[in-house]
Amino acid sequence: MNQLWVTLRPHLPFMLDGFLLTVFACTLAIIGAVLIGALMASLRTSGNRIVRGVAFAYSDVFRNTPFIVQLFFFFYGLPEIGIYIGAFETGVIALSIIGGAFVSDVIRSGILAVDQGVIEAAKVSGLSRWTIFTKIVLPIALRTSVRPMGSVLINMVLTSSILSTITINELTGTAKIVASTTFKPFEVYLVLLVLYASLTYALSLLINTVHRRLNRAMDTGGAA
Amino acid sequence: MRYADFTPYDLVLLAQGLGVTVGLFTLTTLVGLLIAALFTLVDYYRVPVLRQVIVTVSEALKNSPVLVQLFLVFFGLPAFFHINMTPFVAASLTISLNTAAFAFVIFRSGIDAVEAEQVAAAKVYGHSRWQILRFVLLPQAAAFSIGPLVGLLVNQLQVTSLISVIGVFDLTKIGNILNLRTLEPFIVWTVVGLLYYALAKLLASVGARIEKRLRRSVVWEGI
Amino acid sequence: MSNTPSENRARFGVPEDSMVFARGVRKSFGTLDVLKGVDIDVPKGSVACIIGPSGSGKSTFLRCINHLEKLTGGILLVDGAFVGYDLRKDRLYEVKDNELCQRRAEIGMLFQSFNLFSHMTVMENLIEAPVHVRRVPVEQAKSEALELLARVGLSEKVDSYPRELSGGQQQRVAIARAMAMKPKVLLFDEPTSALDPELVGEVLQVMRDLAETGMTMVVVTHEIGFAREIGDQLIFMDGGVIVEEGNPREMIANPQSPRTKEFLSKVL
Repeated sequence: MNQLWVTLRPHLPFMLDGFLLTVFACTLAIIGAVLIGALMASLRTSGNRIVRGVAFAYSDVFRNTPFIVQLFFFFYGLPEIGIYIGAFETGVIALSIIGGAFVSDVIRSGILAVDQGVIEAAKVSGLSRWTIFTKIVLPIALRTSVRPMGSVLINMVLTSSILSTITINELTGTAKIVASTTFKPFEVYLVLLVLYASLTYALSLLINTVHRRLNRAMDTGGAA
Repeated sequence: MRYADFTPYDLVLLAQGLGVTVGLFTLTTLVGLLIAALFTLVDYYRVPVLRQVIVTVSEALKNSPVLVQLFLVFFGLPAFFHINMTPFVAASLTISLNTAAFAFVIFRSGIDAVEAEQVAAAKVYGHSRWQILRFVLLPQAAAFSIGPLVGLLVNQLQVTSLISVIGVFDLTKIGNILNLRTLEPFIVWTVVGLLYYALAKLLASVGARIEKRLRRSVVWEGI
Repeated sequence: MSNTPSENRARFGVPEDSMVFARGVRKSFGTLDVLKGVDIDVPKGSVACIIGPSGSGKSTFLRCINHLEKLTGGILLVDGAFVGYDLRKDRLYEVKDNELCQRRAEIGMLFQSFNLFSHMTVMENLIEAPVHVRRVPVEQAKSEALELLARVGLSEKVDSYPRELSGGQQQRVAIARAMAMKPKVLLFDEPTSALDPELVGEVLQVMRDLAETGMTMVVVTHEIGFAREIGDQLIFMDGGVIVEEGNPREMIANPQSPRTKEFLSKVL
């Protein structure tokens, strides 16, 4: 154990950089995914059949193909059509896009799960469609969506490790380098695995707190 | 015709890649489900120590990137234990365990979903713990689990694409080769993506059919 | 310009004191005819109770009154006005969303499952519609809400969330919420059916108090006792039509139709 520490210690600042880059990339991608997801979820309630179809196809296609294929599609494809952006930007965009596909599904099912009776009660009070959506449906959907949304976000963090395959030195990327320079791949990857597990565990604690806070009032079972 | 253009032989390559992907997916699914079933038994009979180990391992597998798990098995295990490891073996081992970890949780919640009253009723009639599992819990748990299980397997199919990174010649690896040779990323990755998509849809539709059959007798109020 | 209530009254022969006026109301879901021509008059300040087996169309009729369901045919006026339509010349046009909201605000409705807004406190439930639909200032809405809560006997629950209340309390809050909009008429869709027997009484008491203040009420219910005591008219529906109607006490004591007799013998 002590020897492992001696071996790894010089590389820790480097890995910390990678860790920070992972956090940075995930933060950007999560913001992007929530924005895209909210947009796509609302498009899926559109009256126009084509708009609805496009929004459905988006989530269907990106959920049913591997992220690494999507990533290569953008990474190798974008320069072909004259878009030259860095690997990091490409990675964040790709991660936002696949995240958005999952987020849109979560938001959509949250909205669909809102009790029709409650919506009717709002209707008969004379509340407008917009007020019903923003004041009743969305807040209730948001509360029931915290946990599924949380697992999507955790999945995005885990998926971000794949960004290392397009030369981005985030946490996994730096670990790869450290593993090959120290000749201690087992120890390095084991530490890495524990690091990711701690990161997602911390995230899940955060999600549980948010869930409890938001659901103090709500009868969603298991809450409060 | 340039050397870099697509050739008819590329179709053979793609078919081979597809074969490796499907083969490895099938293998790891069968092994993974078997391991998950063993895990579930250990959990059901509350085997001390082993049960805690299984829960910890499956949590670790669920909460870390599959890519890191692949690196740990492919680069880490041989270096540490001085054993030989081919990319295919490493990939099979990793994906099997990963599938097992997720399937274990699905099986366990499937069993938990059966009402306690039914178990109590079975106990009253003098059924053993094994009989309760076999005749009361399993048939219903199977029906509850099949939906989430199909979702998991569709996801695991996508996950197999990561084995290309440690050098298994699966569909994604073939895509890589064609991409680098032809410099036609849009065509290559669209075709590869479509093949994965078709596989996923096929899997989902088979799953839906099985689910329909299993669920006929069971009503689940959750979800 | 659409017709005014007085023009409607003249044209359709609506009595001056009528609150709910239905003639030949039909409703189909696809090929299923749920209402096959219903005529009802509910005068202002009276209580009409509708009874009948499940699937008789009584709830659907109630939902037609505030346009939760669109009519397939017939005429339905509340206080002389169409709810979901405008009559111009001889054609009915569906009204715009905004207008529908304003008209619905005049018709309160209570549901079997209470349907309180689960993410809001009792107070927030009560002021939501007055503030957003009637544009009542928040402070005024709050003080009115407190008065209403006192009337239903739940003053101390003002900051509770719905899930912290019993079913009976939730339904009383729902009644206060409906009253907060100062409706012309209240519709009750089996308001006590989801309640434990010991909680039914408190809700019926609140409804009794409301009736005494002269509130116009249309009540779909299985509580025959309540209908007999409070109802001004009793309507028995079966198979999408009104089988029998009349004075509750007389009808319950001496039903004319064999179907009414059979139904009453089951529920009494």
